[in-house]
Amino acid sequence: MNFQPIIQRTHAYLCADCGKCTGSCPLARVDPEYSPRRIVERVISGDAEAVITDPRLWTCMTCGLCSTRCPSNVDFVRFIIEMRAEAFQAGERGVYAHDGILQEIMRLQRLNVRQHRTGWISQDIHVSESSEYLYFVGCLPYFDVIFDELDLEPLEIARSAVRLLNHVGITPIVSDEERCCGADLLLAGDVEGFRDLVKLNVEMIEATGAKKVVFTCAECYNAFKNDYPDYVGTLPFETLHLTELLAGEIEIGGLAFESLPGQVTYHDPCRMGRFLKVHEPPRAVLAAVPDLELAEMEDNRERSLCCGSPAWINCGASSKLIQREKLRQARETGARVMLTTCPKCQIHLSCASRDVAAEQKIEVTDLTSWIGQALD
Amino acid sequence: MAPTQPRVLIFVCNWNAYEGLDQAGRQHLNLPPEVRTLKVECMGQVGSSMIFKAFEKGADGVMLVGCTPDECHFEFGSRRAAELFEETRELAGLLGISQDRLQFLQVRAGEGAELVASVQGFVDRLAAQADEPLHWQQPDTTMEGAAGS
Repeated sequence: MNFQPIIQRTHAYLCADCGKCTGSCPLARVDPEYSPRRIVERVISGDAEAVITDPRLWTCMTCGLCSTRCPSNVDFVRFIIEMRAEAFQAGERGVYAHDGILQEIMRLQRLNVRQHRTGWISQDIHVSESSEYLYFVGCLPYFDVIFDELDLEPLEIARSAVRLLNHVGITPIVSDEERCCGADLLLAGDVEGFRDLVKLNVEMIEATGAKKVVFTCAECYNAFKNDYPDYVGTLPFETLHLTELLAGEIEIGGLAFESLPGQVTYHDPCRMGRFLKVHEPPRAVLAAVPDLELAEMEDNRERSLCCGSPAWINCGASSKLIQREKLRQARETGARVMLTTCPKCQIHLSCASRDVAAEQKIEVTDLTSWIGQALD
Repeated sequence: MAPTQPRVLIFVCNWNAYEGLDQAGRQHLNLPPEVRTLKVECMGQVGSSMIFKAFEKGADGVMLVGCTPDECHFEFGSRRAAELFEETRELAGLLGISQDRLQFLQVRAGEGAELVASVQGFVDRLAAQADEPLHWQQPDTTMEGAAGS
């Protein structure tokens, strides 16, 4: 295997061995054996084969905190993803959480499946066959079945999103032909699986004629914006997060909310924050809700602490320790609810909240469902 | 070359189901040729991901054969299998995989002949249905090497 292209593409050859990555890595803080610096150094010094077979290759959460601190601008997340792709090719795998069902559902969606994934559309909301806007729902219908025991009502995110879009005069397309965005296959090293899903999704959206694709999931949004162009070139449509669209409407006076008293805190998902730099639109939307107070966590915006376990691989004791720290930060704000814009963060943090003492628990909800309550 | 019969994977538990197949073998009862069986310790181990993996690898139908609740060797295995199968059915519904492609069966000890008849019935129903195949192309299946006969 030749690892030089990976070293070149990610600027790993510029690594100054300063260790800022390891110093800032939330995983290294709870797992002393884990070191981003050492992983990079091992590959550069010709020991890449050992990294490929190291189980710790799969524990990086790809939160990207290291890359924001790296003085040499090494793209460590890309480095990890590309190393995982090599490892996957060599037959290595991460430890799949939830019995591997999420990976399997993603892989099945590459086949000739005729999904029935829009059963959540209720009478009071309106979707269309043809529109300038398409709402990309993501895995919510599947999460509703798989994470049933967490009682998170993921489909309420989708219903609230359409309700909010309807409220600003948009009747979006919602398609049964939508596939998973595939981001978690890419993060698990399955590049071919990801490529298939990218192609199917872009073809599907192009066929609908939609020019703007709206997301409520930070992971889907990031995949489309940052990863899809690597596989299919410039996308033939615009992509935006629902909060960006709503913040724009609020600015021009096109959207007003009812009062929703209470204090909340906001968790910046890695994808929305560090990856896409969408820090302010969610906050602008929350600020527009009368009587709703936003209390910031100690680590917010580009410093936001990861939810501990993306990609549905290698969830373990280290993930739990990181999640506990996140819950602690959220509780310290005094808020009774932590909002987020990534359904996966919601799932991971709600799961962690089940395992902690009563005084450490906090309700974790999606921002879209929460503000959906503030419509008249 | 494409097989004329539907390809079916049957998960059989080590106890009543596998013993039933053994018994059927001693009675010279044949399973349809495109059926592959995979023995597991308990049907309560078989979750959605394993079932869907079979579809991904080219199965046209998947059958699960475990023990009846009162004869389960692990007490909770049979109940767990039913829960897991229910989740699988819901996910299959979302994925548009026809319910006809899935069957969950619980057998008592010594019901070898009934088991073979049920498998034959499942294969016949699959052969009769004109559902679109799940694969765009014929999958390059690794099921052949992975399953027993």
